[in-house]
Amino acid sequence: MSDLILDVRGLSGGYDTTQIFSDISLQIAEGESIGIFGPNGHGKTTFLKTLSGLIDPWSGDIFFCGQRMNREGERGSRKMRNFNYGAVTRRRIDPKAVARAGLIHVQQGNLLFPELTVDETLSIASTAARGRKGWTLAEVRELFPRLGERGSHKIRFLSGGERQMVSMAAGLMAAPKLLILDEPTLGLSPKVRQELCDAILSVRRLGLPVVLIDQDVAFLEQIIDTLYLFDHGRFSGRMGKEEMPDHQTLMDMLFGEAH
Amino acid sequence: MDTAILIDIVKSGLVLGALYALMATGLSLVWTTLGIFNFAHGAFIALGAYLAWQFSSADAWGLPMVPAILLSCAVMFAIGALLHFLLVKPFERRQDIVLISVITTLAGAVILENGLQLIWGARSKQIPPLAEGAVEFGALSLRNSELILMGLVLAILLCVGLFLRYSRPGRSMRAVAQNQDAAALLGLNVPLYFSMVFGIAALTAGLAGVFVGTIRFMSPSMGSEPLMKALIVVIFGGVARFSSPIYAALIIGQIEAFSVYFVGLYWAPAVLFFTMIVVLLIKPEGLFGKYQRTL
Repeated sequence: MSDLILDVRGLSGGYDTTQIFSDISLQIAEGESIGIFGPNGHGKTTFLKTLSGLIDPWSGDIFFCGQRMNREGERGSRKMRNFNYGAVTRRRIDPKAVARAGLIHVQQGNLLFPELTVDETLSIASTAARGRKGWTLAEVRELFPRLGERGSHKIRFLSGGERQMVSMAAGLMAAPKLLILDEPTLGLSPKVRQELCDAILSVRRLGLPVVLIDQDVAFLEQIIDTLYLFDHGRFSGRMGKEEMPDHQTLMDMLFGEAH
Repeated sequence: MDTAILIDIVKSGLVLGALYALMATGLSLVWTTLGIFNFAHGAFIALGAYLAWQFSSADAWGLPMVPAILLSCAVMFAIGALLHFLLVKPFERRQDIVLISVITTLAGAVILENGLQLIWGARSKQIPPLAEGAVEFGALSLRNSELILMGLVLAILLCVGLFLRYSRPGRSMRAVAQNQDAAALLGLNVPLYFSMVFGIAALTAGLAGVFVGTIRFMSPSMGSEPLMKALIVVIFGGVARFSSPIYAALIIGQIEAFSVYFVGLYWAPAVLFFTMIVVLLIKPEGLFGKYQRTL
């Protein structure tokens, strides 16, 4: 079992009273990259937020590098939660501990820190790495030359693509062992999109495994080893790289022929 | 009008403004970072003054002034961080944190003020002035203690501002203030930075208390009136930047000094509130404010 980098067993979760996904199991081997493909609004992002500890899981377990990330057990009954939520019960998972273990989540449409400059943000990321070996500023700037030019600009003045680059750069500097990228190319112009795709590809070539959510099968194919189909809060299919069909066939599989 | 009187009014306004700036900074720091209003801030002011008295007074420990103030700063930082841990952190993830923290910090204020009364008694105390003597510039006479006070406030605020802007922990505090989730996802210890912000707020409030203690008599409830003024300053000025409550404090100090002279001591708070309401009608986010809550 020790060759699994991420081992998710029977994970269920959601927001306070609404369950979003249930009983998800996911095993990622050391060095393996996976893609998650599925329609919007079916809980992919919520699942990833639970993995990285932003949301408490309802039940199930998350192991990263052989280490348990969540506290054992299920979340308390509704009555108990109302009675002492936060005051007596501790969080069932700590996002800081997950990040420090090396599971770094680059959020979807990330605003990061709007009033900080690019350079300040990156220096915070390297502070957060606390001596673990992350990417250096020079390496990140080589990957995203634009960030060098934009160093002294505040993040809220950046374009969507540049923000995404800063998010990814910060994630890389925070010493990831596995990088979660949640729709990094969402809503970008084709040119910027290509730039980001190239960057992700070169990160991948340098040997960092990723969990990538994207709607473009052709792009996913270049990056990942295994594709998971996500549908109605659970994985509905799993296929290796060689069996991956084209976009149209995938859509048919998810929605039926007449979608 | 007599120029000497005018200069006197402006001068007392400056001293008031400097004190309010020091008080309001901690308040707005907590507000921008944690999104809560700390009602124990006034009690921090009193506590800082009493600690400095305890350390420096010949009736108590009798340390020299500078080490006494530094020691009370350190203790205030620790107490601030501790109170965050006890009063705010347990309720951090609740939806109604703003309302709950009003009650818990009020409780903290009551406990601190009554604790002060129990430990040091109700008898008025005073910290010796920062310096004796005065300097004369023609018609203008400035007491040395006032000059030192204004200089120190300026230096302290500058230090806090530079710390937030350029130091690593300061930067991380701003990051945590702007986006808790993103900060946690990078591996920053969010509650630790919240505690540090609380500590810094308590430290600056304590220093303000020391300065007030050198000017007026100290009592356990000495912080409640400055808390009200600091609240006016924060709302009046807005919290867009670290410096906006400072400018606001200087303006409020002048308005107070002038209205005390022209309208009378008892009407001065009413004038302040009236000014604040007018500003809020015209610019709801405060004079120097922006809509978003950032640091």
